[in-house]
Amino acid sequence: MTEVNPQKVSAPEADEQARVEAAAVAPSGPGAGRLALGRITGARHLGLVVALALLAIVGLITAPETFATTSNMVSLLALAATIGVITVGMTFVIIGGGIDLSVGAIMALASVWATTLATQAYGPVVMAICAIVVGTGAGLLNGFLISYGRMVPFIATLAMLVAARGLAQRMSERRTQLVSQDNGALVELSTTRVLGLPLLVYIFAVIVALGWLILNRTTFGRRTYAVGGNPEAARLAGINVRRHTMLLYGLSGLCCGIAAVIIMARTTTGSSTHGDLYELDAIAAVIIGGTLLTGGRGTIIGSILGLLIFTVITNLFILNGLNTSDQLIAKGLIIVVAVLLQRRSLQTAT
Amino acid sequence: MSQAPVLELRGIDKSFGPVQVLHDVAFSVYPGEVTALVGDNGAGKSTLVKCIGGIHPMDSGEYFFAGEKVHVSGPRDAAAMGVEIVYQDLALCDNLDIVQNMFLGRERKSGLVLDEDTMEEMAAKTLAGLSVRTVKSLRQHVSSLSGGQRQTVAIAKAVLWNSKVVILDEPTAALGVAQTAQVLELVRRLADNGLAVVLISHNMNDVFAVSDRIAALYLGRMAAQVKTSEVTHSQIVELITAGRSGELGLATGNGASA
Repeated sequence: MTEVNPQKVSAPEADEQARVEAAAVAPSGPGAGRLALGRITGARHLGLVVALALLAIVGLITAPETFATTSNMVSLLALAATIGVITVGMTFVIIGGGIDLSVGAIMALASVWATTLATQAYGPVVMAICAIVVGTGAGLLNGFLISYGRMVPFIATLAMLVAARGLAQRMSERRTQLVSQDNGALVELSTTRVLGLPLLVYIFAVIVALGWLILNRTTFGRRTYAVGGNPEAARLAGINVRRHTMLLYGLSGLCCGIAAVIIMARTTTGSSTHGDLYELDAIAAVIIGGTLLTGGRGTIIGSILGLLIFTVITNLFILNGLNTSDQLIAKGLIIVVAVLLQRRSLQTAT
Repeated sequence: MSQAPVLELRGIDKSFGPVQVLHDVAFSVYPGEVTALVGDNGAGKSTLVKCIGGIHPMDSGEYFFAGEKVHVSGPRDAAAMGVEIVYQDLALCDNLDIVQNMFLGRERKSGLVLDEDTMEEMAAKTLAGLSVRTVKSLRQHVSSLSGGQRQTVAIAKAVLWNSKVVILDEPTAALGVAQTAQVLELVRRLADNGLAVVLISHNMNDVFAVSDRIAALYLGRMAAQVKTSEVTHSQIVELITAGRSGELGLATGNGASA
């Protein structure tokens, strides 16, 4: 309970804002309550924060010894960091009117590629760059197929899911590749702690802050909403919708590459089995966070809150030694409830 | 009234696959005037407008702007010259607010980030310049606006950029009586401010109420371009339905253009 929750309960919205803007380099203007959209989603965020607080209370009651410990919070955040970075990219893609099923597979491929003996010979920096380049490249290929090849996003990224996973298996010959001792610097992202938190949690925070800035304060973000909301209007306004769409998938791939670096640091391995079903967790987090699957609406903060809710549920089930099947059922129920509640709040808002 | 046209097209042909939609069309638009573009469904009005706006490339023909021959290869080229189109389906993003829509594709930035304050100020100024008082908040979502308000936003978006030519595609089609009057008043005010306005409309009352000239398309050919004061209601209807009316119009119903 030390890290996240007490602040959330006391001043949820202000805390969100403060956290994001403190991490941001140059926050411009008061973001809270400025836009009508901001107010509506603010109300929706409140629901998510309340849900997260309730889960924390459940954790405190059911696992008083273990839940509120520093080590549990750290492992919770480290787990959230991996899918969290992917969720940021996924939020962009879904707001832009698309979907990316290939994120888990791309992350696996990037982790395998970066841990091959050939790549490891060049040291940890090159490994990280390799993962990011592979991720971005696969994402851009997705985007190219979708925007210029006119493929349906669902199909194109499904193909990438299968193909990237297969390529990862081929490259690794289905073996788990260890990060060698010489490249221990990469693992230090997970072991080195600043103010009690591993470095990779800070990477996650920076990605979230950057994602928020890009989505809310730049032309790219504004146009992402436009492309997702009304692609025809965006085109008539002179926006290059195809190029923008391609860049969105490239961005998602970039996030997968960064997530690959994080998972290599956490597990000290690259493996074709990494990130299995991450796409579903990421999509679910985005949906719970209030982003419409039809595009045009959504927020980074909502997605991250959705992700934290999911992560805390997983954590609670593990701490209480409950069946993982029940955990899946609970997650499924949460998705349904979240979407039903949001539909109601949307109707009352507009 | 008889100045040089700000925008002039000559000999425009345009086909979609085997279907030729525009045949040798000539079209002139004058500053400070409202030119009504009329024609039956499928006469080619929207296609002609999209050619002017750079959405569709023209197969052949010449495009003059302010007396100079230009080549328009995309919406950005047209916008750069000061030609703005307000589309029938309005081309607004429902999920964005008024300011965001008005600046879509041409956002103001300070450094790397969006300059919301300047954009809001400019939008407010433009709406005030058009004497628009019907909009409560500039940060309202477009989805919450009425048809007339949406039309107003779309028109304001078009004049925000020191435009010289504003083309309105059926601006009153979906509006009630009072809102139609408001929009027509706005159209007249644009022309009185010195802009060249092209008004596409099916409604003869609207056409005669605000236009200075009328251009009638018939089956992809320009049947006639006349001054509104020199023609009658029924002559225009004949031009639209038959392509000719007495001395006016195409030489034969479907033959070479005049």
